Amino acid sequence: MEITFALIMQTVANGLSLGGIYITIALGLTLLLSIMRILQLAHGEIYMLGAYAVYYLCVTYGFNLYFSIVVSMIVLALFGLALERVLFRPCSSEWLSTIVVSIGLTLILQNAAVKIFGLYERSIPRLAEGSLAVLGIAIPKDRLVALLIAAVLSILLYLFLKKTRFGQAMTASSQNPEGARLRGINPVFMSKLAMMIACGLAAGGGALGGSILMLTPFMGTTPLMKGLTIIVIGGMGSLFGAIIGGLLLGLIDAIFPVMFGPLVASIVPLVIVVVIILVKPQGLFGHE
Amino acid sequence: MNRVSVSDYAIIGLTICGAYLLAPILNDEYWLSVLIVVLINILLTSSLRLIYLLDEISLGHVGFSLLGAYSSALFMLRLNMPFWGALIAGGLFSAVAASLLGYPFLKLKGIYFSILTFMTAEIFRLVTYNWTSLTGGQFGLSNVPGPAPLNLPVLGVVSFDSMHNYYFLTLTVLIVSLLIIYSLEHSHVSMKWRAIRDADKLAASVGVNVIGYKIVNFAIASFFAGIAGALFAHYQGALSVDPTSRFGPMMSLFLVVYMVVGGKDHLWGPIIGTAALDLFSEIARPLSEYRYMLVGSFAIITILSLPEGLVGIRRLLSHK
Repeated sequence: MEITFALIMQTVANGLSLGGIYITIALGLTLLLSIMRILQLAHGEIYMLGAYAVYYLCVTYGFNLYFSIVVSMIVLALFGLALERVLFRPCSSEWLSTIVVSIGLTLILQNAAVKIFGLYERSIPRLAEGSLAVLGIAIPKDRLVALLIAAVLSILLYLFLKKTRFGQAMTASSQNPEGARLRGINPVFMSKLAMMIACGLAAGGGALGGSILMLTPFMGTTPLMKGLTIIVIGGMGSLFGAIIGGLLLGLIDAIFPVMFGPLVASIVPLVIVVVIILVKPQGLFGHE
Repeated sequence: MNRVSVSDYAIIGLTICGAYLLAPILNDEYWLSVLIVVLINILLTSSLRLIYLLDEISLGHVGFSLLGAYSSALFMLRLNMPFWGALIAGGLFSAVAASLLGYPFLKLKGIYFSILTFMTAEIFRLVTYNWTSLTGGQFGLSNVPGPAPLNLPVLGVVSFDSMHNYYFLTLTVLIVSLLIIYSLEHSHVSMKWRAIRDADKLAASVGVNVIGYKIVNFAIASFFAGIAGALFAHYQGALSVDPTSRFGPMMSLFLVVYMVVGGKDHLWGPIIGTAALDLFSEIARPLSEYRYMLVGSFAIITILSLPEGLVGIRRLLSHK
């Protein structure tokens, strides 16, 4: 394939929209890791459920696409609240138990999705029709909208954490759990909040993923893996790291398969991560 | 560290005898094929627990099993190595890869290490999937030879074509491996691992080569993961790396479930957990879609009611 300027531009647009999807997952995972100290391996399934919720609301019941996305995010946030209460709180003292619970949950949700939604590939309507001319090259609008939505969600999360009382309490409790508790910050409430935000973000990411890619019961595995990789690249608990890491990984995933083929592309993330660990073990923007 | 008592030896002896007698008693090809995979999974889970002695959780043990499986199969297919040589070489290949990656990886601890191993296993899988000229790509490898007949002192010439004999072979390799793993856990090296687990900076200050001992641990665990993969390769005769295959991310995660559900703090934990979950899953097979939902629920309910795993039942009973 001839590599033209147009191809590069389109690949970059694809990469940035992929990056936007990865960021929504990575932000949720890093929030759960730093507030609840859990590795939520079923987070990809929340993403998958978010996408299907949008599909049913929008395609089956004919609601407006953006309205469906908002409803899906709220529904999944409430689902996250229930998960926190029923599954994660009872075993919160033992890190390994939470891993087992999240893997069990993955099995349940994936297979329930196969049973209820079926194995057919579906898709959510495009976020926007048509394309935009950038430097004379046509870039599909829906990619840009996906990136925009991810950017808005990230900025909202940033403003929430920095500017509101609850957000500052969350930041405090992630940096120093004991100190936060002494200042009267309720850790259970913080866990509930983190779970709701993380699940809402994942549902939003699922809506973007479902409209750009395809819907299947197993669509959550790849974003989970990407989200986790981003945490290692960007540094745990770092919002900025998750955003930079997400864009970086999205670009790699879009550009390398086109330029160098799938074999090289599949090794690249490992090489990058190994290099980062050797140079800066706590990740690009992580703290000791 | 507990002393091994006479009754423990008796239990071990009886279990081994029972496991060997299971083949003639069952005398059922289907169940033997299930049991062979259970034995292989026990080896994987037990070697995973070796890494847990450092208080680290690898979520990518399956990746090293994949290296062992493909390298052992390719050693036989391309280099015409004999079975036993290829089996050991497969394990060694995986151990070498683990030592090379161990240096950067083991500098990190806890969740970082878990994420890295998880990611690495998936990357091994993708590389295998895309390296078509070497690994057959998405079609995988087929016609992987099994072991050649052996001339044993008492039994005479034994061929491993039958399910029975491959079961015996897998069981013997498993028992030898478990004995090595268990003696490692009660050895001098294990004391260093425990010291590193409890206080790595202190251990380093009294002259323990922390990263070195960690790499040795990771390499040994990966060696046995490689052996388990190779046993699977030569049993199945064909290998592939679909996302849903036994080299996919779900299987990688599920090894941790086996270990924790069985009991992570006990030698018997991986054996009991793997056997219980695999047999439960096998019995639930006719329920099609509900099968894995039930397996997931079984794991969650066990861990919420018995935080130390199924081995905790024994203590629960003896207290009453």
